[in-house]
Parts: sequence; structure tokens; C-alpha cells
Amino acid sequence: MKRFFCCAIALCAVLCAFLSSANASGISIDAGLTPAEDRWIVRTQARYMKRKGDPTHMGREMTTYAFPTVVAYGLRPDFTLLVKQAVMHQDSAMGGSRNKTTGLADLFVLGKYKIYRENTSEYIFGTAATLGMEFPTGAETFTSNTWDLVPGLYASWRSGPWASDLGVSYAWNGFADRGRNNINPGNEFSLDWALAYQFSVGSDSRASIAPVLEVSYKNISPDERYGHHVSNTGESVLYISPGIKFTKSSFILEALLQIPVWQDQKGMLLERGAGVIVGVRFMF
Amino acid sequence: MMKYKVSVVVFFVLIATIGCSSTNSGVGALPSGEYETRVYEVFGMDCPGCHGGVEKLIAKIPEVEKAEANWEDKQVAVVVKEGVELDDEQVWDAIRRANFTPGKRIK
Repeated sequence: MKRFFCCAIALCAVLCAFLSSANASGISIDAGLTPAEDRWIVRTQARYMKRKGDPTHMGREMTTYAFPTVVAYGLRPDFTLLVKQAVMHQDSAMGGSRNKTTGLADLFVLGKYKIYRENTSEYIFGTAATLGMEFPTGAETFTSNTWDLVPGLYASWRSGPWASDLGVSYAWNGFADRGRNNINPGNEFSLDWALAYQFSVGSDSRASIAPVLEVSYKNISPDERYGHHVSNTGESVLYISPGIKFTKSSFILEALLQIPVWQDQKGMLLERGAGVIVGVRFMF
Repeated sequence: MMKYKVSVVVFFVLIATIGCSSTNSGVGALPSGEYETRVYEVFGMDCPGCHGGVEKLIAKIPEVEKAEANWEDKQVAVVVKEGVELDDEQVWDAIRRANFTPGKRIK
């Protein structure tokens, strides 16, 4: 009986380690600048992430494909409303058996408010604050099962061909309730910095190309249950991500390679491998 | 799984092709002849993606026939409809609502 109980706990721990997944933001350019009033922006991405390096030698591996789509609308010059919905596909392997799941992630609604903006002939500087709410609407595998509050603060600076963006956000997971089995999911802290250099393409100023370098740090606190940390939860990751952004009038094509240069995974959590993000944006 | 990967690649190539082939009439396509064309300074545009926001808001002004921005020159050209009066303040207000800062009227 005791052996069965230990096996059950071990299995739960392994599953927890499997299900925990977080995304570094990826392509945070323009975060501090609010779009024009009455401006629609539709942004869709394909994200590939892999977790491997199983410390338990059980041959665990997990590949995730995420397809988030964001629709943003400039309600006023100083306020933008954004709605994000992602379709997820997860392929996990453990000891020779594979499990594939496809479903929707949680719905995310976000408001972005312009705090300050200065436009001069020499430089542009803008700051914006965001407040988002993630609703537990996703499929069983991909939902946090909690209502999550996500405040953020962003700054953008432009001078000539140079662009730099800094963003900090905090996901207060389960701020209004508790998740499944009274587990309070760990809060997430993110810090993103991006640097880009823009080259004009063609003679009519209607297109440009910009190499991008992003540095992202993410820390996820361990989940809690009755005031105690849940084992095999919590992680810290530092990404350095080179990428490219092509802009043509009302269209942006962007791609980023996310390289985890440092990470601290708790317990039996799998290590993060390199990720790829390819995205398009339409503005009208 | 291969089918998924191919579908995703095809989707993004298709979208990129549509986006890249989206034509813009260009400065040369601005109506000429009897139309009055004004040029205003605009500060705050930092890439070609900024053009659309300010062009859309200026084009909504009933007296405006067409607007075209240039982020590198920091200017927007505004074509006024025939036989109407356009107040500069209307254009400056549209530029502000696009989150940019209007400069002086150059032409």
C-alpha cells in the first residue's frame, strides 16, 4: 500500500513537472507606444518550444506549438484594448509512450494606457501601463484554472535607426480564486529588453528591415497548496533572442530564435530548449 | 506532425506574400492638377508601419481627398478636395490622435 502511495505521489509530481509551461514574451518591440485612435492591429504567431533534459532518466520530452492571435483596437489615442486567444498543441513523451493534445489556451484581455509620450525631431520616448486578465476558459491541459491578473509597465525609446524597448510585467495567478485541488499557481515575473536597428528598404520609405536582439528574464514562483510549496514547480529562465522584423506599410513579418542561456528548474521539471517564434501583424 | 509543420509554413508564407504584395499608391499617385496639396511636419513616426494610422485619421476629415505620410521625411502630404476650405487645426488634431506631434505646415 505504501509503495502504491509513493508511486502515485511520484506520478503526480512527474505530471506537474510536465504541465508547467510558461512563455517568455518574445518580440516586445513597440511595447511602450500606444497605436493611433481607431487603429486595428491583428497579430498572429507560431511558437515552437521544446523541453528536454529529463533529470529522472524516464525519457520525458515535451514539444509545444502555440498559435496565439492578438486583436488590438485603439479606442482612444491613450487607450488600446487587446484580446488574445491561442491554439495549443502539445506532444509529450515518457518512457516510450506519447501523448498528443490540442486545444485552446486561456482567453486573455488586456488594456494598455499611454502614460507619457514625447515626439521630437531627434527622438521618441513613450511609456505605457497595461492591466490584463486571463480567464480560465482554456482546455484542460492548457488552462491555469484560475483568474489571473497581469499588470505591466513598458517604455520605448527611438532615435534615428535605433529602437529600444523595456518591459516589466507580473502575473498574479489565482488572485481571485484557487485552482484545481486548492493549488494556488505560482506568480510570474517577466523582464524584457529589446534593441533593434532599422534599415530602410527601397526608395519610397514604405518598407524597412530591422535586426532585433531581445533579452528576457522570467521567474515563476512555485505553486502553493495550503501554504506549502508544491514540489516540481517554479522556474527561472534567461533568454537571449536574436531576430528580425520586416515592415511594409500595414504589414509586419517578425521572427525570433529564443535561446535559453541560463535556467533554474525546480525538482524534476524538464529543461527548456531553444524556441522559435514566427509572426505576422496586419495594421489597418 | 509533418502535416502540421507544412501547414504552418504554408500559412505564414501565404500571409507574408499577401502582406508584401499589398500595394500602396505612392506619392506619385496623389491627385494633381486642380487639387491643393499641403505638407505638414509630423514627429513621432518611427517606421513604415506608422503611416497607416495617421493617414487614416487625416483621410477621415471630410475636406480631405487623400493623405500620405513619410516617416523618414517626418512629413504628411494632404490633398484637399476641390472647392472646400481645410482648417490646419483639423489636420493637427488628427496627427495628435494618431499619437504623433504636429510640426509646422511646410507647404
